Order: sequence, then C-alpha cells, then structure tokens
Amino acid sequence: MSTLSRTLRNLRKTGIKDALHQMQHQGDTKWGTLIGQDRFGNKYFENLQDELPLRTRWVDYKEYMFEPSQIEPGWHAWISYSVDKPPTQDPLLQTGVRPWELKEHRPNLTMSRAAYKPYNTVKPKLSAWNPVAAARQ
Amino acid sequence: MLSSARSATSLALRAKPSSCLIPYRSIAAISSPSSKPAAAISQYDVNTPRPVSVTGKEKREVPLPSQEGKKGFTEYALTTLDQITNWARQGSLWPMTFGLACCAIEMMHLSTPRYDQDRLGIIFRASPRQSDVMIVAGTLTNKMAPALRQVYDQMPEPRWVISMGSCANGGGYYHYSYSVTRGCDRIVPVDIYVPGCPPTSEALMYGIFQLQKKMRLTKITRMWYRK
Repeated sequence: MSTLSRTLRNLRKTGIKDALHQMQHQGDTKWGTLIGQDRFGNKYFENLQDELPLRTRWVDYKEYMFEPSQIEPGWHAWISYSVDKPPTQDPLLQTGVRPWELKEHRPNLTMSRAAYKPYNTVKPKLSAWNPVAAARQ
Repeated sequence: MLSSARSATSLALRAKPSSCLIPYRSIAAISSPSSKPAAAISQYDVNTPRPVSVTGKEKREVPLPSQEGKKGFTEYALTTLDQITNWARQGSLWPMTFGLACCAIEMMHLSTPRYDQDRLGIIFRASPRQSDVMIVAGTLTNKMAPALRQVYDQMPEPRWVISMGSCANGGGYYHYSYSVTRGCDRIVPVDIYVPGCPPTSEALMYGIFQLQKKMRLTKITRMWYRK
C-alpha cells in the first residue's frame, strides 16, 4: 500500500473480494494479468504498465504459510526476471520432460518433520568395543 | 503468521513495499503457523514391525514442539502473547555484522536498494549491545575466534546467529588450513546456516526469512509456563 489513491484504484480494478484477499496475504492491492498457475496452485501475475520496475511480476501463493521455495523452478526463473516468457510458453522450461526431474516440486522442508537429516554412508572411522576386565587372580 | 515476515517472504521475489502496512493489521492476521495436532502422528501397532529409518535404527516419532496442540485457556492466552512478542522480534532484526571475508560483500548488497533490507526492519548495528542477530560472514580464523565469542557474549538475549557461507559453516575452502576454525559453530551456537561460496544476497535474505520462521515457531511464554 504505497498511496491511498493507488490502493483504491487497484481495489476498483480487482474487485473487493480479490482486494481483501490480497490485503490479507500480500499486504497490498495489485492488479495485473493472470499469466498462469503452477502445479502446486500458486498464481502468477504481471502488470508491465502500472507497476514500478522489479515489481511487475508477482505471485499469489496458494498457502497462507507461504515461502519462496514453494515456487517451481521455471516460475522462479520467470518471476526473477531471468526469462521473458513464462514456463507455459517457453519450451525450454517445460516440466515433466526430463528424466531426472522430480515428479512434483518439493519445497524447502526445513523445520518440519520431513527436514533433511544428513547421515553417513561410509564405514565408520571409529569402532566401539566392549572392555572385558580380566578376573582377578 | 506474522505480517512482517509474511510481507518479507513475499518480497523476496517481487520487491513490494508493504512494511508500512504492518501497523494496520490486526493481531488475528499475525496468527501463529498452522500446527498439526500431536494426535495426527499415527501410533504404531505393537504387533506390526516398526518402521526402520535409513540408518537401520527404529523410527521413533515424537511431535515437534510446533506440532503440539494448545490445551486450556492459559495456553491460548500465552500463544497470543508469544505471537505479539515474536512479531516484535521479527519486525526489527538488528544484525551485528561480523563481516570477515568476501561474504560480507554479499551482505552489503543486502542493504543496498535492490534488496533493501531496511524494508524488513533490518538495520546493521556496529555495537553488539544493540543487536539481536549476528551474521558471521566469511572465514573465521583461529585468531579471530576469541573476538567472535566475546562479541557474541556481549549481545543481549534473545540473540541469534546466522552462519553465512561455506567458510563460516564448516571451514569451506580453508578447512584444512592450520589457522582457520572449521566452522563458526565450534565457537557460537548457530541458528541458520546459509550455504554458498559466497551465498547470493537472495540466499542470505532467504536465510533471514528462515530465521524469522524459526522465531515464529518459538514458544517463549508457553515454555516458561510449562516449567
């Protein structure tokens, strides 16, 4: 919410429902074209005319507890201005075509139960033993 | 969830000035993260074999502190208190800059207009007495280690440490050097490790968001009440 007039203008353009949603989730009213939706359900918007540079592309997260790692790699490239076309139009950014690809995008699971825990895969360098005391003669 | 961090997270990729909004938001908007109840973690049957982890040990499922539910009026009230405290803590994160090497350059980039840490309420302080979080950016040498510990000891509670870059995480490139501490977690307790050599400013910012998430999950008064 930079200025009141901008907020009201965007509120008029987006409608009251979307504006309230944006105020709750993003803290700002923005109006733009819906470029696409990734497999997780995040919605991506663009407005090249009215917004300031580097604020022209934004995401409406599906989850209330959002995190940048929920954005899929192709959409991340688009929203970071690495590419011009969104993954829906760019053949190089198509998902599900490479054999090494994950079936679905996995966000950062740190601080949850599914957090990555490192484990050793090589033979342990140290080995424990059970000390056996010889009986006193 | 706290609005400052929410805005902060969304700002990571699309740079939006919404920090001015925070005062207008209600306490309800800064509600704590959705937590699964502890009962959701399934209890295993005695007869069936227990699942085994990767290392071959028996899996033991314990609810995370963030997954425990709230019981009674007191815990609900204390949860709200915690939310307010955590909101205040996240909104003004003053880092003690411990720039030691090239990572500090990326840390400086975080304060420049492109990433603009001021909108998140992050202001670099030169004094450890006024700072909440220490960003260890760069190679920690053995000679510097006592100074690092002293600065950490001078910081008031609550305090957090972000270890930035491979060298601070575990020695990195200089791991086998005779004069380098193999990770700053040998000197101070570290909350967030930011990988990279050096990590980009975005990576450091993401680390700060992770720290804010960690603060959000902290039960301050609830743990005190439990005791």
